[in-house]
Amino acid sequence: MLAGLLIITIWIRDETRKISYLRTFVQVASLIGIFYLFSLTLWLSVVLIVIFAATIFLGRFFCGWICPFGLYMDFISQVRKTLRIGYWALPEWLNKNLHRLRYIIFVVILLPPILLFFLDPLYQQKWASALFLIGSFTPLTILLGPLEPLIVPWGETLGFSGLSLSYPYVRQVIVYSSGIFVSINVFLLIALTVASSFLVRRFWCRFCPTGISIGIVNHLPHFKWAPIMHLNKVEEKCTKCGICKRVCPLQVTEVYDQKGGDIATSMCMLCLRCAEMCPYEGCLKANFNGKTFFKSRNWLKK
Amino acid sequence: MTQKEIENLRNTIKTASLKVISENIARMKKTSPNRPEIMQYFDEMANLFGQREKEIKELQDQGKKVIGYLCMFAPVELILAADAIPVRVGSGWYDPAKQGDKIVPVEVCPIVRSTIGTKMIGLSPFLEMSDVIINPPTCDGMTKLGEILSDQKSIWTLSAPRIKDDPQSLIFWKEEIKAMKKKIEGLTGVKITAKRLRAAIELRQKASLAFRRLQDVRKISPVIMGRDAMLVSQTITWDDTQRWTEKTMMLCDELERRVKQEEWACSPSNPRVMITGTPMFWPDNWKIPHLVEEAKPQGLIAADELCSGDRILYDPVGVDEWTGSDMLSAVAEKYLMASTCPCFTSADGNEDRINWLLDRIKEFKIDGVIYYTVRGCMLYAMEYARVKRILDKMNVPIYYLDTEYTREDVGQIKTRIEAFMEMLDTRVQLSRGTQP
Repeated sequence: MLAGLLIITIWIRDETRKISYLRTFVQVASLIGIFYLFSLTLWLSVVLIVIFAATIFLGRFFCGWICPFGLYMDFISQVRKTLRIGYWALPEWLNKNLHRLRYIIFVVILLPPILLFFLDPLYQQKWASALFLIGSFTPLTILLGPLEPLIVPWGETLGFSGLSLSYPYVRQVIVYSSGIFVSINVFLLIALTVASSFLVRRFWCRFCPTGISIGIVNHLPHFKWAPIMHLNKVEEKCTKCGICKRVCPLQVTEVYDQKGGDIATSMCMLCLRCAEMCPYEGCLKANFNGKTFFKSRNWLKK
Repeated sequence: MTQKEIENLRNTIKTASLKVISENIARMKKTSPNRPEIMQYFDEMANLFGQREKEIKELQDQGKKVIGYLCMFAPVELILAADAIPVRVGSGWYDPAKQGDKIVPVEVCPIVRSTIGTKMIGLSPFLEMSDVIINPPTCDGMTKLGEILSDQKSIWTLSAPRIKDDPQSLIFWKEEIKAMKKKIEGLTGVKITAKRLRAAIELRQKASLAFRRLQDVRKISPVIMGRDAMLVSQTITWDDTQRWTEKTMMLCDELERRVKQEEWACSPSNPRVMITGTPMFWPDNWKIPHLVEEAKPQGLIAADELCSGDRILYDPVGVDEWTGSDMLSAVAEKYLMASTCPCFTSADGNEDRINWLLDRIKEFKIDGVIYYTVRGCMLYAMEYARVKRILDKMNVPIYYLDTEYTREDVGQIKTRIEAFMEMLDTRVQLSRGTQP
């Protein structure tokens, strides 16, 4: 792990890519970690709560650095870049409205299991089923969909020597389908998510429900202290060159629009691409609890 | 005017200009006796009728195209990618302005009048050699200048929107850049491929790096006089980019060595002045920098906000993915959005120039600002009120100076500048606790 980190910091000469490579490394390491997580019996509901709670404090750090689905989308973007195909930037109004979709998705996924939990008198050990997300809570596992590593440590269809191939959301889609529709729906899901993030960077992230907790916190004035990981901009150094807006994979405009100080946004996944590409020293900073751990620098000094 | 008269005028002014150029350099050398030796290269390049004219002529004879531009919005990266020679053709000569007076009123911007006069008598080698001139109609003067020049030269207009950060403006500007790319390809016969464009962008990024190094050295110490640094910055508008970068890097190496040895070009207690305003073109319009750095008490021009100086290479092109479309977007955005030119206003307050000035004042420890305009420039003159209000709040002295393309007001300007420098010097010494 340390060797990998060393290799990245020493070998990668290109100043405008160092953080991106570091992030890919962390994403792969997280993927391996999650694979081993799956081999333990876990209270899945705890995993869910941890992710949502962590987001309140760390912003969408999980999305940018840990989420395996994010890694796969980044990988597909890399394939696109190697083929020298340009990305499709969504028009700003469309992007901003897609954000709203995640609240709808969240409610649609959340409500039925909770209603069933209270309305189903026959199901015993209700709290146990809630912790393990089984029984009437099974649909909630769809919220854990992004955590699916491509290989899971148990035998299933498409299995080999105790492991099987998997993909985010596929197992949940199987729960909702039957017969020929299992294959059709799985194929459609994979095709749509792969296809869409080929042209639109990190397409799923723009309406993934994970960012909801920070979205809500940003709107509550009494909880402004909660997010301790932010981007921060020094207004005087900003020349409004627009590089941060253009390179952002999620097309976040708040970094460009806001006039200095901590950037409040529920879309930023802290991938630090904007800070990496900002050419003015000390203009964009990434702060953790007030301390800067990365800031923009004169990357011309390659 | 007859052909003979034109030729006579040209030769007279050319001879006079050569004298002015060598005088300028002599004055700069006198102020700074331990001027770095590498400045010799820039002094040679400063002769606009010398080596560079010959080089461009040779390249042109080999089939390369020369594309002149009147303003910093011209996408130089595209010109370089098409293997053409970019050269700035705004006039810095005082005398041709009188010729320009015959065609346009005296109230018009002196730079415009001078460029017209320069074309009339064929004075500027770069203007004459240009196969085509890119003219962004950023102000009224520039708009009509293009028309007047189009009688004798091929002019390509490159419209910049007046509001720079609207989404619609960016769409328009990108279309203009795409159209300009096609025109350049048509003229040169060279297709601007992604590979060529990448090479051009990286070349200019290296030039930006050299330039930033020079700025970083000026930030901390008076190791080079402002006039020398301004000449170095402006030289890239006619010089070969690669060679300029090499020489500037060598200059920075020497200057960084001097910083370690504390070999200053002037006393660290000299007031540090920043000039902001309309561009100051070499050779004649060096009037005010001379006066500031030869005044008693002497000032040091530590930074400037001039598109003929510190603004040229400050903003690099930031490319995300090296695909053709992203590179073109990056080039377009660099020229439009990072610009601090008052020809723009913005959708949200237009504070870019003010922020830039404030950042410079902090980073370069500027003691006073000279707000310079050529008479007739509405855009710069009208921004003065806002800039003054903010600098007054920060307690930074700012002095408004407007002048013309003439030598007749040198005496008057000298008095005014010396008064300003005296005031600054007193302030500086008092704040540092030393004797004025």
